[in-house]
Amino acid sequence: MHKYFPTQEIGSLKKPSWLLSVVKNPDISKEDKSRARNDAALLNIKMLEDLGLDVIYDGEVRRVEMYEEPVRYIKGFEFAGRVRSWDNKYYNKARITGEISYKQNFHGEEFKFIKENTKHDIKVPVTGAYTLADWSYDEHYKSKEELVLALAKNVIRPLVKDLVKLGAKIIQIDEPAATSHPSEMDVFRQSVNESVKGINAKVVVHACFSGNDYESLAPQMPEIKAQQYTLEFANRDSWNLGVNDKERKGYDVLKLFKEYGYKGEIGIGVTDVHVDRIETPKLVRDRILYSAKALGDPAKVYVNPDCGLRTRSRTVAFEKIKSMVEGAELARQTMNN
Amino acid sequence: MISSYTVGIYPRSEELIEATRKNSKNLSSLYLKEKKEYLAVQKRAKLGYVCDPLLEWDDIYRPFSKLKSVKLSALNRIYETNTFYRRLSFDGPLDDAGNIVKSSLAVSLLPKNRTVCIADPYTFADVHLSTKYRKREEFTLAIAKMLRKEIDALVKSGFELIQLVAPSIAYNEKVDFGIVKNAMEIITRGLKAKTILHFYFGDVSKKIEKLLDMPVSGLGFDTTLTPLSSIKKHSFSGKSLAVGIVNSYNTKLEDKQECVTDLNNIISKTKPDEIFVTTNFDLQYLPKDFAVRKILRLGEIARGVRSA
Repeated sequence: MHKYFPTQEIGSLKKPSWLLSVVKNPDISKEDKSRARNDAALLNIKMLEDLGLDVIYDGEVRRVEMYEEPVRYIKGFEFAGRVRSWDNKYYNKARITGEISYKQNFHGEEFKFIKENTKHDIKVPVTGAYTLADWSYDEHYKSKEELVLALAKNVIRPLVKDLVKLGAKIIQIDEPAATSHPSEMDVFRQSVNESVKGINAKVVVHACFSGNDYESLAPQMPEIKAQQYTLEFANRDSWNLGVNDKERKGYDVLKLFKEYGYKGEIGIGVTDVHVDRIETPKLVRDRILYSAKALGDPAKVYVNPDCGLRTRSRTVAFEKIKSMVEGAELARQTMNN
Repeated sequence: MISSYTVGIYPRSEELIEATRKNSKNLSSLYLKEKKEYLAVQKRAKLGYVCDPLLEWDDIYRPFSKLKSVKLSALNRIYETNTFYRRLSFDGPLDDAGNIVKSSLAVSLLPKNRTVCIADPYTFADVHLSTKYRKREEFTLAIAKMLRKEIDALVKSGFELIQLVAPSIAYNEKVDFGIVKNAMEIITRGLKAKTILHFYFGDVSKKIEKLLDMPVSGLGFDTTLTPLSSIKKHSFSGKSLAVGIVNSYNTKLEDKQECVTDLNNIISKTKPDEIFVTTNFDLQYLPKDFAVRKILRLGEIARGVRSA
């Protein structure tokens, strides 16, 4: 029997402080650091399983960060230095100084470890070609489109194929930059389609909210070869209970997806990753029920946080996931009554 | 006459980034050291106007959070970049303005030929919030009055060129030019300094005619988005023209000769009263080493135009 409202994570969790002190310690051997990473991955896997998530990963505990990690392994990139994200937060930004090419399956070992240590479904997050291009300095390609497609065809596609060969059944293409340039949505669509061309796995696209309420994404959704989108809604929604338009204003855009003919699944963000306040299970329930009604089919609704939870403490992140899982169960009970 | 300057906030060095993250004890001395280094680079590049690198500023608006009635609000993306600013909420009268910008600059370190960069009132009101000034026009004009007090204090302190950065005018498809003009009149009426309204993060090709009507000394353009071919269709007689030809959004260094040729061409077509060679916007979108190379290249280009 189909289980309504499967629950999942988006990807990242804050790394345990003990792991950071181990990996940053120059006196600790590579082997011991590797063991510490395995321990941290195992801890995250078991935590997420115990909290009751249906689809899991390892909290991206081995990755430096979603941009810097893949860039380290792609030929053609050179790190330029750190650039401000906001205030005193910075990210390491790279230049593209030559032809882009794929060197190795840089998520292979991580995936194999997770596969060996869980019986749950696994969703592998992979940073998308469009975001990698958008967050870099291009000194080599003639246009952004050319760069994006080179990354999609020559890096992301072989990476995804290698992950599928290892047994990955769900791939999430992470594209936080996707909607930040509304005029480039055609390039974004081609980027995802080229990245997943010929692969035999479920494709999920994660796009952060960026300014125009997914209005630029909606027309592209039916044309992109993805079976699911995991999107941000909770941070624009009210905290009041209710399944009406007024209280669930954050989820109103779901109707637009339907109007544009999108028929696939939506992983709805039900917890705000920018605040410590924990959503109650009842609030999560109402967000799910409203979304199911807006999409016209409860089987299309998956449940997740808005984005990766690494901005929150581990305690807050796990509380939010717990509440999310309980809320999904309440929503199932309502559906069954 | 040909001159040069940079626009906006400079990047912090790796050392300073680490120090700000750890809130190190020697943070103030590091800020000072790095400001002096950047001023020396501008001097080495022989820029016509020199600016404070604004290293302590988290974003171009943040100093205004010191005003009594202003509260910090949520993070918001800077247009289509991967950098964020904190929205400010202007919830009361802005009577205590007048020394916010000046007190956030290392004025004593600057040479006489000094410039400063401030957001224009339209952009300011476009990207922030107010519970007191609910209508856009009312809010924009209140901001303009606040900025005028700030600018008066800066001019008194010897700032000869005031850059008013106006990304919202460039980015927004629809702009109420009536409001922009009224706000700019508040800013520039009787002001004894040059004012350049500078556009980036959008192509203003179709807006240039209306912008030429603004009561400012000149207009500045990001030529990666507003192409030189659009600018040169207009006469800048009676106005200054700032050409943001050095790209702060890419590490690739501009070809000096190509830029000099482009600039000479645009001077001959637009005939401005004065031309400024500038960066297209804040150098903070580059790591420090690349920013320094860009400043030096900017100087070379400006000198190349002078000698051509």
